[in-house]
Amino acid sequence: MNPKYRRLFITIFIVLTLGLATKLILMALEDNIVYFYTPNDLIEKFGDTQNIQNKIRIGGLVLENSIKKVDKKTIFIITDKKKEVKVVFDGSLPDLFREGQGIVAEGMFKNNNFIASEVLAKHDENYMPPEVAEALKKNNVWKGDAD
Amino acid sequence: MIPELGHILVIITFVISTMQCCYWLYNLRYTNIDVVRVLQKGSLINFLFIFLSFLILTYSFITSDFSLLIVSNNSHTLKPLIYKISGVWGNHEGSLLLWVLILSAFTFFVSLKDSINSKLLASIIGVQTVILSLFLAFILFTSNPFERVDELPLDGRGLNPLLQDPGLALHPPMLYIGYVGLSVSFSFAVAALVTGEISKDWARQMRPWIAIAWSALTIGIALGSWWAYYELGWGGWWFWDPVENASFMPWLIATALLHCVRILEKKLIFINWTILLSILAFSFSLLGTFIVRSGLLTSVHAFASDPSRGVFILIILGISIGVPLILYSIKSSSFNEEKGNFDIVSKESAILVNNLFLTTATLTVLIGTLYPLFLDAINGNKVSIGPAYYNATFAPIMTPVVFLMAIAPFLNWKKYTDKNFIKKLIFLSAVTLLGGTLLYLIEEKSIFALISGSLSIWLFTGVITDLISKIREAKVKLQNIKQLFFFISKINIGIHVAHIGVAIFLAGVTGEQFYKSEYNVIKKVGDIINIGTKSLKFDKIENIDGPNYNSLMATFTLYENNKFISKLRPEKRFYTNEKSQTTEAAILSDFWGDTYLVLGEGDKKTGWSLRIYSNPLVSWIWAGAFFMAVGGILSVTQKSSRFRNV
Repeated sequence: MNPKYRRLFITIFIVLTLGLATKLILMALEDNIVYFYTPNDLIEKFGDTQNIQNKIRIGGLVLENSIKKVDKKTIFIITDKKKEVKVVFDGSLPDLFREGQGIVAEGMFKNNNFIASEVLAKHDENYMPPEVAEALKKNNVWKGDAD
Repeated sequence: MIPELGHILVIITFVISTMQCCYWLYNLRYTNIDVVRVLQKGSLINFLFIFLSFLILTYSFITSDFSLLIVSNNSHTLKPLIYKISGVWGNHEGSLLLWVLILSAFTFFVSLKDSINSKLLASIIGVQTVILSLFLAFILFTSNPFERVDELPLDGRGLNPLLQDPGLALHPPMLYIGYVGLSVSFSFAVAALVTGEISKDWARQMRPWIAIAWSALTIGIALGSWWAYYELGWGGWWFWDPVENASFMPWLIATALLHCVRILEKKLIFINWTILLSILAFSFSLLGTFIVRSGLLTSVHAFASDPSRGVFILIILGISIGVPLILYSIKSSSFNEEKGNFDIVSKESAILVNNLFLTTATLTVLIGTLYPLFLDAINGNKVSIGPAYYNATFAPIMTPVVFLMAIAPFLNWKKYTDKNFIKKLIFLSAVTLLGGTLLYLIEEKSIFALISGSLSIWLFTGVITDLISKIREAKVKLQNIKQLFFFISKINIGIHVAHIGVAIFLAGVTGEQFYKSEYNVIKKVGDIINIGTKSLKFDKIENIDGPNYNSLMATFTLYENNKFISKLRPEKRFYTNEKSQTTEAAILSDFWGDTYLVLGEGDKKTGWSLRIYSNPLVSWIWAGAFFMAVGGILSVTQKSSRFRNV
C-alpha cells in the first residue's frame, strides 16, 4: 500500500475506533455510575425514596438493636444520626458487620425498603469507610479516630 | 548500630547516583566507552549498597528488632518466619526499598550490555540512574525505613492478617519486577530521544527487557487476583477495583509495546509510536504507584496517608513523565523512517490494529479509574464505578483483539502471500461454529457467554492451526527430543504459548462469569446440603489454636454421586494481636472447577450461615496467566527474528 493512502487509512481507522470507544464510555458512564449518599442526603435530595430508580450506595452506622434476621434475610437500619434508612439484605454479611459499625450498602429502593445487593465493611476494627467518615464528620456526629 | 549502617548505605547510594547523573549529563556530547565504564562501575556500587541495605532491613525483621519503627508497627515475635520476611515489603517504607533494589538491579544488568552502542548505553544507564536517584530521595526525605522508635515496645503490632499469606508474600516482588522492569524500555526510549540514535538493533536489544517485565507483571497481577479469590471469601477474582486497574493499565500498554517493537526490529517504521508507548508503559507504572500509595484510595495497599508523600510522588511523576514527553515533542520529528510499504492484510497491519485497540482499552480503564476521583474533586459527589461499566466498554473493545489474535500469526510480514490463509479461516470458522453450537446445547446461557466461549475456542484452534502449519513449513520430523528442540528454535514458540495462555484464560473467565452458581444456606451440624450431583455433610465445628490466631473451624465431607471426594475445612480466624478477623474459605480445586465454601455467622441453636460457590474452570484463569508469562520468557530466549520470516 502506498504510504500516502496508508496514512489516510490509518487515520480514518483511528478516528472511527476512538469515536466508537468514546460513545461506549459515555453510555456506560451514564448507566453504570453508582452514587453515594448518607440517609440525610438522600431525603434532602429526593424527598421521597419512591423517586429513586437507580442503583445507589448508602453509607452510615448500623443502628444499635436494629439487626433482625428473617429467614436468610437480614434487616437493619443505617443511620447518620439524623435520618434512617431500612435495609433488607439476603446475602452473606462481611466479617465485621455489627451494630455501631460504619458500613456501605449498595442496592435499589423498592416500596421504601432498600434492597441491598451488597454490603461492604472493611476487616479492620477501627476502619470507617472514607465516604462514611467524611459524611459523619460533616454532620458532627463522629469525631474520627483518636489518633 | 546495624540499622544505622543500612540508612548510611542509602544516603551514600543517593550521593553516588546523583553524582553519576551529573557525570552523564556533563559528558552527554562526548560519550565514549570510558564514560560507559564509569557509569557501569557506579551501577554496580549502587546495586551492591542497596542490596546490603535491604539485607540489613530484612535482618531487623527476622530478629524482630522493635527499636525500628516499621518493624514494631508491622511485625511480631510470634509471626512465622516467612511472614517476618514478607513483612519487609508489607509496609510503605520497606516496599519502597524493595522497589529501589529492583531498580538498581535492572540498571546494573542493563549496564552490562556492551553490545549496545556506547552512546546509547551511557544514556540508558543515565536515565535509569536519574530515576534511581529520585526514588532514593523519596525514601530519604519522606519514608526512611530505618527510623527508630522513641520508646522500645514490648512486642510489635503485627502485620495485617490479610497479608499473612504465601501467595501475597510473592505478589509485591513480582509486581515490582514488572513495574520497574518497564523502566528499562522507558530508558531506551528516552536515550533514543536524547542521543537521536535509533536502529533496528535498538528494538532488538529492548525487546527482551519488555518481555521479562511483562511476564513478571503478568505473574504479579495473577497472584494478586488469586489471593483476592481465596482470601477475601467473596468468590470473585477481579473486581475492577482502582488498585487492580492501576496494575492492569501498564500491563495493557506493555502488551501493545511488546507487539509493536517487533515491527521496528524488521524495518524502521513507527519509530515515534514505539517510543511513545515505551514512555507511556512506565508512566502508567508510576501512575499506578501514585494512585495506590498516595492514600487517594483506601485499600490494603494504601499503607501511608501522609500527604507529603503524595506530593513527592506527584513531583517524581511530573519529572519522569513530563521531561520525556517534552523531549518527545521536540525530537520525535527528527527520526528518519524507512520507506515501508505493507499490505492491508499483513502482520504489520494486524499489530497496528492490536496496538490501537489495546491503547483504547487502556483509555477506558483509565477513565473508569479516575472519573470518581475527578467527580469528587469537582463537586464532591461520591460515586463508584463497578464491573458493569467495564463490561460495557472494556469487553467490546477487547473482543476484536482476541478475534485477531487467532489469525494474525498466520499472516506474513509486508505482503499478503499465504495462499492457505482463506483455507485456514474457513477451518477456524467451522471448528468455532461447531464448538459454539455444542456450548449452546450443553447449557443455554446469555449471548455474551456464547461469544466469550466461542472466542476462546476460536483462539485455541487458531494457535494450534498456526503451530501445525509452521511444523509443516519447517519440514522437520518430530521424532526425538533433539529434533523437537531444533524445531522450537526455528519458530517463535513463545508467541504460541502466550496466545494459548489467553485462550485458556478466556475459557476460565467464561466459566467463572457465566456458569457459576451460588448457594446461601443456614445449616446445623449433621445436616446435608445437596448441590447438583455433589453433596456436603456438615461434620463438626470446633475451636482450634493457630500460631498467632484462634480459629473457628468447621469440617465438611464432600461426596459426589455418594462417593467420598474430600474433607472441606472453612475457618474464621481471630488474630488476637491485630484484633481482627479473617474468613478462610475452603476451596477444592480440580481440573473442571472449584467448590468454594465460606463459613458465615451463626451459633449452635440456629445453625451457621454458609455460602457455597461452584466455580467452573476458575483455575484456568491463573493457569492461562501462567502460560502467558512462560510465553513471554520463552520469547526472550528466542534470538531476534532477523533472518526469519516468522
